[in-house]
Amino acid sequence: MTGTWSLIRLILRRDRVLLPLWIVISALLPASIAASTAGLYTDQAARDAFAAASMSNPAQLAMRGVIHEASVGGLTAWTLGSSLTLIGGLVSILLVLRHTRAEEEAGRRELLSSGVVGRHAPLAAALVVVPAANVLLGLLSVPGLVANGLPAGSSLLFGLSVAGGGCAFAAVAAVTAQLTASSGTARGLAIGVGGLMFALRAAADTGGVAWPAWLSPFGWVRLTRAYAGDRWWVLGLFVVFVAVLAAGAFALSVRRDVAGGLLPARQGPATGTLRGAFGLAGRLHRGTLAGFAIGFGLLGALLGVSARGLDTQLNTPQFRDLAAVLGGSGARVSDVFFSFVMYVLSQLVTGAALVSALRARGEEVAGRADLLLSTPVGRLRWALSHLAFALAGPALLLAVLGVAAGLAYDCDALRVAGATLAYLPAVWTVVGIATLAFGVLPGLAAAVSWTALGIFLVVDLLAEFRLASGVVLDVSPFVHVPALLLDGAGSPVAPLLALTAVAGALAVAGLALLRRRDLATA
Amino acid sequence: MNAVVHAEGLVKAFGRAKALDGLDLTVEKGEVHGFLGPNGAGKTTTIRILLGQMRADGGRITLLGGDPWRDATELHRRLAYVPGDVTLWPSLTGGEVIDLLGRVRGGLDPERRADLLERFELDPRKKCRAYSKGNRQKVALVAAFASDVELLVLDEPTSGLDPLMEAVFNECVVREKRRGRTVLLSSHILSEVETLCDRVSIIRAGRTVESGTLADLRHLTRTSVTAELIGPADGLAALPGVHELTVDGARLRCQVDQDALTAVLGELARSGVRALTTQPPTLEELFLRHYQAAAR
Repeated sequence: MTGTWSLIRLILRRDRVLLPLWIVISALLPASIAASTAGLYTDQAARDAFAAASMSNPAQLAMRGVIHEASVGGLTAWTLGSSLTLIGGLVSILLVLRHTRAEEEAGRRELLSSGVVGRHAPLAAALVVVPAANVLLGLLSVPGLVANGLPAGSSLLFGLSVAGGGCAFAAVAAVTAQLTASSGTARGLAIGVGGLMFALRAAADTGGVAWPAWLSPFGWVRLTRAYAGDRWWVLGLFVVFVAVLAAGAFALSVRRDVAGGLLPARQGPATGTLRGAFGLAGRLHRGTLAGFAIGFGLLGALLGVSARGLDTQLNTPQFRDLAAVLGGSGARVSDVFFSFVMYVLSQLVTGAALVSALRARGEEVAGRADLLLSTPVGRLRWALSHLAFALAGPALLLAVLGVAAGLAYDCDALRVAGATLAYLPAVWTVVGIATLAFGVLPGLAAAVSWTALGIFLVVDLLAEFRLASGVVLDVSPFVHVPALLLDGAGSPVAPLLALTAVAGALAVAGLALLRRRDLATA
Repeated sequence: MNAVVHAEGLVKAFGRAKALDGLDLTVEKGEVHGFLGPNGAGKTTTIRILLGQMRADGGRITLLGGDPWRDATELHRRLAYVPGDVTLWPSLTGGEVIDLLGRVRGGLDPERRADLLERFELDPRKKCRAYSKGNRQKVALVAAFASDVELLVLDEPTSGLDPLMEAVFNECVVREKRRGRTVLLSSHILSEVETLCDRVSIIRAGRTVESGTLADLRHLTRTSVTAELIGPADGLAALPGVHELTVDGARLRCQVDQDALTAVLGELARSGVRALTTQPPTLEELFLRHYQAAAR
C-alpha cells in the first residue's frame, strides 16, 4: 500500500474540477427538489393525488419505484433515490476505471509502479477517493434538506443511502478493472452490472414481487425508507457489499500481471476486409451509433408508455387549457407532451451527432489521420467519411426514437417518427457548425460545437419560460422546426429546406477550409 | 533531374518559433538517405511538409517530380510512410490495419506480408490497443515494406524496437535498396544511419549543416577511446590524429580520427591494456566538431 497517499493526491489533482462539480451539483439537488415539491403540492390532498397518479404509471414505477409516503420528504426521496444512484453510480464507475485500468492501459501505471508505489496502491487510492466523495456529497445534502424543514435524522439516512449507492458501483468497477486488459470492456462490464441491478429493482417495483429489489443497490437506496420509517440497518447491506467486492478486487489484482487481465484478451481476425476510408469510418462509428440507437429506442419506448395515461390522468380543466394554448383548441394533452419532449430529445440527438462529427478531429489529434492521409486517401474523402456518419447517424436515431415512442404510445409510429425527423435539418445545422469549426479552428472545434449547442439549449429554455423572443430566439435552429404533431403547425417545407441549406453551406465551407490548412495535433 | 526529393530553402514557422529556417534536402533515386538531427531539429516537420500534411511558408520542394501539397493524393500512391510515434485504431487488429493500409496504397504482396510478419514476430490477431509501442511500429513497418511503392519515408522507425528487431529492420531496408527503392530514414542516432545509408543530411535548428556521403563526413567522426594501461604510453601524444589526450594515473582518454585508429591501438597494445572502451561519436559531438571546424 506504500504510496497510496501520493496517488490520492494525484487523483485529487487530476480531477480537481470534475470532483467538486459532481459533489456540489448532487448535494444541491435534494434541497431544490424538496423546495419545489413543497411549493407545487402545498397540502396533503395534492400530494396524495400526485402519488396516486404516479403509482398508476408503470414508467414512473420502473424509473423511480414505489412511493413509501406522500410527504414532502417521502416524495423527495422517491424522486431522487434512483436518479442520484444512477448518476453517482455512473460517475463512480467512470472515475474508478479512469484511475485504475485506464492508467494501466495507457502505460502510466508501469511508470508509477517502478517507483516506490505498492502493488495495491492505485486501487486503494481510487477506492478511498471515490467512496469518500460519495459520502461527502451525501453529508453535504443534509443541511439543505433540513433547511427545507425536513427531519435531520431521516435526511442523514437519505444522504447516506445515496452515498451507499455510489460506493457500491465504485466497488463493482474495482472488480471489473481486474478482469480485462481493456478499460473500454471494463467500463462496459461495470455499466452492464449496473443495468442489471437497475432492472432487478424495476422488475420488483412493477411486477409486484418484492424480493428482487433486495438483491440490488438500487433497491437498497429505497428500502432504507428515509422519511417513511427510517430503516438504518439497510445501510449495513451497502457496507457488506462494498467490503466483499473491494476485498475481491484486491485478491484478484495479486493474481494477474500489471496491464494484464484475468479474462484473456480477445483475438480478432488476422486479415482485414476494410476497403478504404469509408470502410474504416464504418468500423469506428458503428459501435457508438448502435449504442445510441438502443438508448434512444428505450427512451422512446419509455416516453410512449408514460404518455399513454396522460390523456386521462391530466384530464383537468387547467391542463386542457394549457394544451389549447400550446397546441390549439382540441389538442390532445399527450400530443403537446410529445411535441415538447421531442424538442428536448432532438437536442440530445444533436449531442450524439456531435460525437460523430468531432471524431475526425479526434483522429487528427491522435495522429491516426497522419498515417491514413499519407496514403492515396485524400483529405476530402477522409473528412466526408466521418461527416457521412454525422449526417446519417442522427437520421437513424431520430427515426428510432420516433418509431419506438409511437409504437409504445398509440401504434401510429409514422406520425411520431415524422415529427422527430423534422428536427433533422436543425441537428444538421449544428453538425455544420462543428464541420466549419473543424476546418477553420481545429484546436477549438470541440469547444465551439458544444458551446453552440449549449447556447441553443439556453435560448430554447428562455423561450419556454417566455423570457426571450424575436431575434434572440431566431438564433437557435431548433426554434424554426414546426411541431408537426400539433394541428396549428405551419407547412414544414420552407423552414426545413432553409435549415438544410444553412447546414450544407456551413459544411461545404468547413471542408473547403480543411483542405487549405495544416494538419495539427494540437 | 533524378532527385526523388528536392527541397531548397524550406521555411516553416509555428507562431514565433521557426521550425525550419532554410532547410535543403536532396534524395537521389535508389539511395538510402539518412536524415539526421537531434530531437526538435525539424525532421518531422520536413517529413510532414513532404507528405502534404503541412504547407511550407517559404522555399521550394518537389517530391517524385510533383508538388507534395497540390498533388498529394497522386504522389501518395508511390510512397509509404511510417510515423515516428505510430498510433493505430484501438479496436482493429494489427492484421486488419496492415490490410487496410495495403489496400488503400493499391494492394500488397500476400507472400511478403506473411514473410514480414514472421520475421518481425508480430501476432496480427491482437487488437491494436494491446500492442506495445514497438509492436505498433512493426504493424506500420510491415504495411510499408509489403506494399509496392517507389519511396519509403521512415521517421525514427526503430525507436521502439529491441536490438534483435533492429537487425531485422536493417535487413529489410537493405532488401528494399536492392529492389531499387529509395528510402528516406530519419534518426537522431548516428550509428544507426551509418550502417544503412549511402548519403546523409545532418540538420540542426531547422537548417542543413552537412550533406554528403559518410566518407565525406569522415573528417567529423572521431572515436573516443578510454583505456586503463599497464605501462606508460608515451608515444601516443606524438601520433597524428590523436586529440584531447588526458592521462590520469593509469587511465587514459583521447579522441581519435578514424584513420589513426590502427596506429593508436598498436601503441596501446605495446603498453599493455587492462581495460578498453571505444565509443562512436555522438551526434552532439559531431555538431561540436562541425562548428569548431567552421570557426577555424
